Amino acid sequence: MSGLGPLSTFKRNPELRFVGLAGPGAIFIVVSLLLPLLSIVVFSFWRTESYELYADWTFDNYRTLLSEAAYRTFFLRSLITAIIVTVVCMLCGWPVAYFIARHGGRYRLLLVLALAAPFFTGAILRITALQGLLGPIGLINMALNVVGLAPIEALMYTQLASGLGLVYLFVPFMVTAIYLSLVNFNFELLEVAKINGARPWRAFFEITWPLNWIGTAIGMILVFIPCLANALTPRFLGGPDATSFGMSLSQQFGETGTWALGSAMGVSLFGASVLVILCLKPTIRLKRSGFTGAMTQ
Amino acid sequence: MSVGLGTMYVFLYAPIFYVIYTSFAADIVWPFPLSFTVAAYADLFDSSLYGEALANSLKLATGSAALSTILAAAGAIGVLRYRSRRRGLVLFLFIAPLFVADLLIGISILAFNARVLGLPGNLYSAMAANAVQGTSFGFLIILAQLVRYNWDMDDAAMVFGARPWRCFIEITLPTIWPSLLGAYLISFILAFNNLEISFYNLGAIPTLPSVAWGSLRFGLGPELFALAALVNLFVFTVFAIMYGLMRTGLVKFGYRGL
Repeated sequence: MSGLGPLSTFKRNPELRFVGLAGPGAIFIVVSLLLPLLSIVVFSFWRTESYELYADWTFDNYRTLLSEAAYRTFFLRSLITAIIVTVVCMLCGWPVAYFIARHGGRYRLLLVLALAAPFFTGAILRITALQGLLGPIGLINMALNVVGLAPIEALMYTQLASGLGLVYLFVPFMVTAIYLSLVNFNFELLEVAKINGARPWRAFFEITWPLNWIGTAIGMILVFIPCLANALTPRFLGGPDATSFGMSLSQQFGETGTWALGSAMGVSLFGASVLVILCLKPTIRLKRSGFTGAMTQ
Repeated sequence: MSVGLGTMYVFLYAPIFYVIYTSFAADIVWPFPLSFTVAAYADLFDSSLYGEALANSLKLATGSAALSTILAAAGAIGVLRYRSRRRGLVLFLFIAPLFVADLLIGISILAFNARVLGLPGNLYSAMAANAVQGTSFGFLIILAQLVRYNWDMDDAAMVFGARPWRCFIEITLPTIWPSLLGAYLISFILAFNNLEISFYNLGAIPTLPSVAWGSLRFGLGPELFALAALVNLFVFTVFAIMYGLMRTGLVKFGYRGL
């Protein structure tokens, strides 16, 4: 039973229980995520020669990234693509999430699960499916072929196709994030606004949008960050002028074996992601959201 | 507005339905009219490469999901049950992996393992790598059900003399097991279908996604359609079962009539 020895004090102290339970997971993530990220920061200052990393501290990798036009192009291209895809996902995702949250009724769960399910089939198979539909021997182009029309050039191995693929991959994230916010939103506020004479769009911009900004911001982050690093979609759906930063990064760790440069690219990618999060963080005021905190229920 | 909603679903599902339809076609380029055949599936099941890849993927997913669920469950219980100054930090740590891109996780763990730890890539390092993402997802899923758990039950049990472990097994676990199962399933599916994180940490070991990737590089083939159809079927079956359980109230997964 409960004794008075040091072990039982350990067991009864809530702080130690907390550490005992949450500790392993936290330590695991520190070791498996933070330490590796730290190590590529270190490696980015080293040098690669004949597939080996040498600890010669140098800025050369960053100098290469900034000076060689190819890398600048890749980065800017990935950045602009990610921004456009995020905005498109937001524009497409908001109406869908809003409709499900407000008018879904009994079918809300089904609709949301149906939207989230495709994401879990894995990126490569979804790209396969997209190629099956949009690709050069896909349904759309072959249908045009049969009818006698020329295939749609813009859909075959272009940046548009790559962008479309990215939207296809990430729109479920955006919708889910916005939906989870709207679920806690009190739609009666809009009735009040209507009674007080506000037109629907005004009510949306002054009430719905600000109170659900957290959901939108989280959705934007969840779409932007993987989009920036994406290597598969541009490779299979984009053409030679759609090479992305992520593709180049994976080459550094694959074919060319230049880990130092690859680490520098990884650090740039991570830095860009952190920058976006830091930019969005001040705009999030927890009290302004409808989220009163599930833990207080 | 419902037209917009419909468009979204058509957009998401049209490629999937087309892939499933075409996987049964003899001519994958223009499958109309449909000359029904299961040759693609036969090829898939006969192939030893896909067989080996499937076995590896299953092993990877099982191990990764087990690790994720245990860490996530312990973390969620710790965060919700016990007050601590470090709560915020721990919450941040558990959610952080969601905001780091797959590719970055894959290469950084590869570099870390190879250069700092001196480990070659193998199935276990890939399991650990996938578990990072799985723990985050699992944490959120378990948290969602756990916030509605009444901890007074545990206190009552302790008053009657139950030690914490027994209390967990006999009271907490029977109530929260759906969320643990949900976390396990989601982590399993994520690890099973993951390419970027696993690829760099596995070396030459084939998994289903990496074999699919290798095949796709040479262009679309019938066995890719068959594989896509099967994986889609698997994922949708899991989701359908979860939906059915939630809807009929048999198992809650923390769902309270969302």
